[in-house]
Amino acid sequence: MTRVSRNGVLAVLAIVLLLAVPDIANVTPLSFSIIHQGILFGMAAMGLNLLLRHTELVSFGHTAFFGAGAYGVAVLTAHYEVSNGLLLLLGAALAATAIALLVGYLVAGYLDIYFALLTLAFNQVLFAFVLQSGFFNYNDGLRVRVGADRPSLLGIDRWLVSTFGADPIVAYDYVLYYLTVVVLLVMVAVTWKIVNSPFGRALDAIGQDRTRARFIGIPVDRYVWIAFTLSGLYGGIAGGLFALLQLHVRPEPVLFVFVSGEILFMAIIGGIGTIVGPIVGGIVLIYLLRLARFYFEYYHALTGLVLLVVVFFLPEGILGSLPTFRAGLERRLRDPTLVRGDAATVSTTIRQRLYRAATTVRILVFGVK
Amino acid sequence: MIESLLTHTLNGLYYGLILFMIASGLTIIFGVLGILNLAHGELYALGAFLVVTVVGFLAGFVAEPTGPLSALVFGVVVLLGSLLAAAVLLPVGAVIESVFVRPIYEREDVYQLLLTYALLLILVDVMKFLWGTSPVSTSSYSRLNEIPTTELVGFSYPSYNVIVILVGVVVFAWLIWFFDRTKTGRIVRATAINREMSTAIGVSTDRTFTLVFAMGAFFAAFGGAMNSIGPSDAYLEMGLDPLVLSFVVVVIGGLGSLKGAFVAALLVGVISRWTVGVFSLPQLELAAPFILMAIILLVKPEGLYGTWGEIE
Repeated sequence: MTRVSRNGVLAVLAIVLLLAVPDIANVTPLSFSIIHQGILFGMAAMGLNLLLRHTELVSFGHTAFFGAGAYGVAVLTAHYEVSNGLLLLLGAALAATAIALLVGYLVAGYLDIYFALLTLAFNQVLFAFVLQSGFFNYNDGLRVRVGADRPSLLGIDRWLVSTFGADPIVAYDYVLYYLTVVVLLVMVAVTWKIVNSPFGRALDAIGQDRTRARFIGIPVDRYVWIAFTLSGLYGGIAGGLFALLQLHVRPEPVLFVFVSGEILFMAIIGGIGTIVGPIVGGIVLIYLLRLARFYFEYYHALTGLVLLVVVFFLPEGILGSLPTFRAGLERRLRDPTLVRGDAATVSTTIRQRLYRAATTVRILVFGVK
Repeated sequence: MIESLLTHTLNGLYYGLILFMIASGLTIIFGVLGILNLAHGELYALGAFLVVTVVGFLAGFVAEPTGPLSALVFGVVVLLGSLLAAAVLLPVGAVIESVFVRPIYEREDVYQLLLTYALLLILVDVMKFLWGTSPVSTSSYSRLNEIPTTELVGFSYPSYNVIVILVGVVVFAWLIWFFDRTKTGRIVRATAINREMSTAIGVSTDRTFTLVFAMGAFFAAFGGAMNSIGPSDAYLEMGLDPLVLSFVVVVIGGLGSLKGAFVAALLVGVISRWTVGVFSLPQLELAAPFILMAIILLVKPEGLYGTWGEIE
């Protein structure tokens, strides 16, 4: 099979899997709502990855946009009684874009840790502002409802209820999920387009060497600003959908700085070199952080161990390491003697690590001669 | 009016110096190893929990303070206890560095962040396992306050806060002395400035890095110990805010500069107490350090002082 057709088959498989999630969740103990949340956070991570992968800028403040999107929806429903889902999402996108434009303008010239911490600072200022503002109803947050009604999703959910007599809540959840899938597919396509455009290449150049990029005539700061705003827009749309899913927006789950960290880590877990890796990372991390607590008391440590495994054994992230894995597996299938070599490598590594740990302890206890 | 201004300033200094102790650890780790240690807040929390156990144990050996003198004895015991609790973090820090952090120096920054985040999560559950989920406290705060301060500062003020301010200044002075005057300190600085060159003249960078990480862990834990002897309890989520705030401090001061971290910690401490006490803007308390940081970075992108190695 050629490479292109194999990728095509994989893509079709992924889409079928995505469409079948509600049914899969029905017949297995997987949680539909958690997967949905994971996809939404993964979307934000995908936006962040646009910045991380190409310009190598680490943003610690990406919940600012996720939160702006969520609060955009919440404010429109709670204060202006808008109930059209499309309008609400538009509001979310606009709110996030506006904030991303402002923050991006201020931070575009910064690098490395300064960039990371400046974005964190703006995120935290926004968080503190929302937390202390009566307009946003402080820590209690806003309900995403007009009266007692859920927002309407293009009228499809209402239509399902009136024609087929579907349960309104189920209909709403399903329609919202498929809406999410459509948005996600559009996002993936757009990202693919951006990444393979001259603009994407220019971002790559900026990530590799700013000075060189400037010399070959790339307006570095403006491009970073545009990329930042784009990634903010992704986060905003994801946040808007999240608000529609949760129907209640509170500052902590959508604006707190540690959620920013989670979004960043989703991108890394999934694989920053891939386009859809962050979605996988999003589902995995949300599962570990939100759901594992019901099954396992020390779920933090469990998450930590999974992350350690990613760091040490999957250096390109879950999705990014798959090709290497597959290649290695194929080689071993063809030549089974290689396995013995692997076992030897593993045992030497373990022996070396133990020896080093012992040396460290010895130095700590007895000092150095 | 003046007295209230003084009280709030002293509160700010107290808060700032605790921040400095945490941030100094973060600063030296970042300055020498180039690692932004997200688990630093949990090392701080670990110090806070440890001090509850250690001081609780030690305080059983001394009598309840009745007069100034016995209160002083009690104070010394508590201080020794917190040093001891923080010292536990020396081997812990060394093991974390040599086992987990050492293999990833060459990797991209984001993986270092992910690794230290993983350590943060694991440490949280280690503390949950050892001390449970409910807050714990040493309850030695009120007894420490029996050391009279009225003579010391001229008006009534919790003497515990004064002790912390003095300890913080001593920590700063010791750090400056260590990095400026001792041979080990100079070796660490040399490694920070030029890794290859110091390896060439025979410095073992591995050992230096382990030492620095252990030191950083020690000061984080000492900050936590100081905080949890005071009126606040040790609780599981306590590491988050100090971690973020010590980032702020480190960045305002200029990455890795000890003097910068000192000045920035005091600035952050005093300003955040003033927003509440003097300007009566409690709604700005959360945001004040971040607004300060944003302004300083926008005006002076390198922070207030230079970078590591050149202490001055």
